[in-house]
Amino acid sequence: MNLRRRLHLPRFNPVILGFIRKELSQAFRDRRMAALLFVAPVVQMALFGYALRTDLKNIRLAVVAAPGDRIATRIADRAYASGYFLPASVSRADPYEDLAAGRADAVLIAPPRGFTRAVSRGSGSAQLLIDATNAVRARVVEGYITGIAAGVLVEDAGTAPPLGPVRFDIRVLYNPTLESSIFMIPALAVLVLSLMVILTAMGIAREKELGTMEMLLSAPVSRWEILAGKTIPYVLMAFVNTPIVLTTGILWFEVPVRGAVWMVALSAVVFAIATSSIGTMISSLARNQQQAMIGGFLFMLPGMMLSGVFFPLENMPPAVYWITYLNPLRYFVTLLRNIILKGGSPDVVWPNLAAMAALAVCAAFFAVKRFRQTLN
Amino acid sequence: MNSPFDLRRIASIARKEVHHILRDPFTLAMGLGLPLILVLFFGYVMQLDPREIRIMVADRDQTRASRQLIEAFSASGFFRVAPTPPGAGLISLLDAERAKAVVVIEGEFGRKVRSGAEARVQVLVDGADNSSAGTLVGYLAGIQQYANHILADTPAAPPGRLATRFLYNPELNSRWFVVPGLFVVVTAILAVMLTALTVAREWETGSMELLLSTPVRPAEIVVGKLTPYLVLVIAAVVLVYAVARVILGIPFRSSHVLFAVSCILFVVPLLAQGLLISSTVRAQAIAIQVGLISSLLPAMLLSGFIFPIESMPAFFNWLSAVMPARWFMQICRGIFLKNAGLGELAVPMTALLIIGFVLVNVTVRRFKVDLEP
Repeated sequence: MNLRRRLHLPRFNPVILGFIRKELSQAFRDRRMAALLFVAPVVQMALFGYALRTDLKNIRLAVVAAPGDRIATRIADRAYASGYFLPASVSRADPYEDLAAGRADAVLIAPPRGFTRAVSRGSGSAQLLIDATNAVRARVVEGYITGIAAGVLVEDAGTAPPLGPVRFDIRVLYNPTLESSIFMIPALAVLVLSLMVILTAMGIAREKELGTMEMLLSAPVSRWEILAGKTIPYVLMAFVNTPIVLTTGILWFEVPVRGAVWMVALSAVVFAIATSSIGTMISSLARNQQQAMIGGFLFMLPGMMLSGVFFPLENMPPAVYWITYLNPLRYFVTLLRNIILKGGSPDVVWPNLAAMAALAVCAAFFAVKRFRQTLN
Repeated sequence: MNSPFDLRRIASIARKEVHHILRDPFTLAMGLGLPLILVLFFGYVMQLDPREIRIMVADRDQTRASRQLIEAFSASGFFRVAPTPPGAGLISLLDAERAKAVVVIEGEFGRKVRSGAEARVQVLVDGADNSSAGTLVGYLAGIQQYANHILADTPAAPPGRLATRFLYNPELNSRWFVVPGLFVVVTAILAVMLTALTVAREWETGSMELLLSTPVRPAEIVVGKLTPYLVLVIAAVVLVYAVARVILGIPFRSSHVLFAVSCILFVVPLLAQGLLISSTVRAQAIAIQVGLISSLLPAMLLSGFIFPIESMPAFFNWLSAVMPARWFMQICRGIFLKNAGLGELAVPMTALLIIGFVLVNVTVRRFKVDLEP
């Protein structure tokens, strides 16, 4: 207290402080809520970190070729040795049937008189059938098999074919082995943390549903104090949660952190404020908790899908790309990836932080305005 | 009173719930609107094939050969090529997310190509974005071959090659891939979340005690409360189906009867899951949180929607096997894209049946125990 006076710090609004205390004790009165808020995200982080893999494994590949077909056999051997593929046995009669029944994911069929013979005559093509129900996987599978086949064909020709003078010298930076978890963990942290939006959204809606909002309004408390008091506790919770979730992911999956920790912390604060403000905005629009929940979803699900975690943003049509500018998840994913993997370039960090802060201000402004209207 | 299961009483509970839903058009609108918006949105939005990857070229040679190489990049259609801005560090361009790759053509490039000496071209790839980096490296091999073909007249293709055919989705249309998967995500979320709230609400507002003091039996409360939501979820599925087929042009290759049966098989365990959550935790805020954790992320991440199940470690493969979403994902893709029949769908349908049976049993038992003080 004395220190505060000596430093001339303004006195923090006691009403809001009271609100924060009430809201936090209400949330943690139920031990299960505390567990959900702080233990569940960690478990999810560890769990889903394994699921989010962009590299493929255990693809069932069948090779239909005569036993003496040297090139086809060698392609098969090399594919199985690569660790990406598992042998699948198929009926020689109808490989289509096997793909339809899901007994194989890809089938390589040598031409009738053998792939080796066809190649030696100068123009041979083997057919590769791929189950493309998962289009992304199909594309990667094709890439793997074509690469393996090209290697085998070059080797089989004895001498290296005339490659020509131009040689690409490819250097993959930041994540040379293209390890999935290094790329995905920062994004997963954003997904897990964003689940808290719904909680914020339900705060005010609960007061409305239980009828305690009237009581609050009749008390000598201003409206923005109610809103701030209802939002700040969730900002605090999100802020405490972020380091827990991130540290779990980083330690568990050995993600290298190249940027400054204060940048991550700053982004986390702004993200927490932005999402909690959006939660409060939804809350001020909703009449009961069910509405708040659905509203929260309506924000969160597109928010996740348009965050760049699942689908690259650059490929989206322009109209949708513009919508992603309204998505705080997008900025936080970009920030975390850039800071953690690349060390944080000022050209990326500041614009993204500014945009997220602007979103927070707009949402807070709208929430206050809307809250007044619904009450009058 | 004497019959254990009275349709009249179930109907009145159901009527009450319908009134709840109708009085609050927001729930209804969102129950149907949310899936509709999502499917339309994602049907149009998703473009999975990375086209037009942004790359920058530092041409320090400025000869005909180097320009031809740059032309090879832009003519491929995979890249949007821009020159590097003067004075910028090459790696800082990647740091600042200005490009996904930087190509450096050294000063001697043209001379080396003419003399047949090895002309190295450095390509710095942004590995922080796995999805585009992998594809990009794949494209580079083709570009290198093509560049050699036009610059040094090497053969355009090796003697042997693979002719790839993508079955069921020949053009690798992202929409065909995403929309059947969205069925799973949307249904899972709606079914779990809506039911997770309804019983928890009765407990929270204290009206559950009231309901229990009436002659209605617990099982009747469960069935009565769930039926309207079952109808709502099914309506959402029908709506999404109509949009997917009519507006988005998603193929449907198998039988409608099979699809309808599978939908029911999928929704029942989810409703039970929602009910189990809400009768266990009894508070809406917690019910929501548990519902989210147990439905949203598993449906998106552990179902094989985007990230294939085979690539996960064995434990997660097993874990996803007890989740209905994984099986319904397989069914949806099979039915929409593959013309899967009963034979192909037997495994996933049986799995759903077993999961549903177990969950419903647990829920009913739990609900009974819960009510006896």
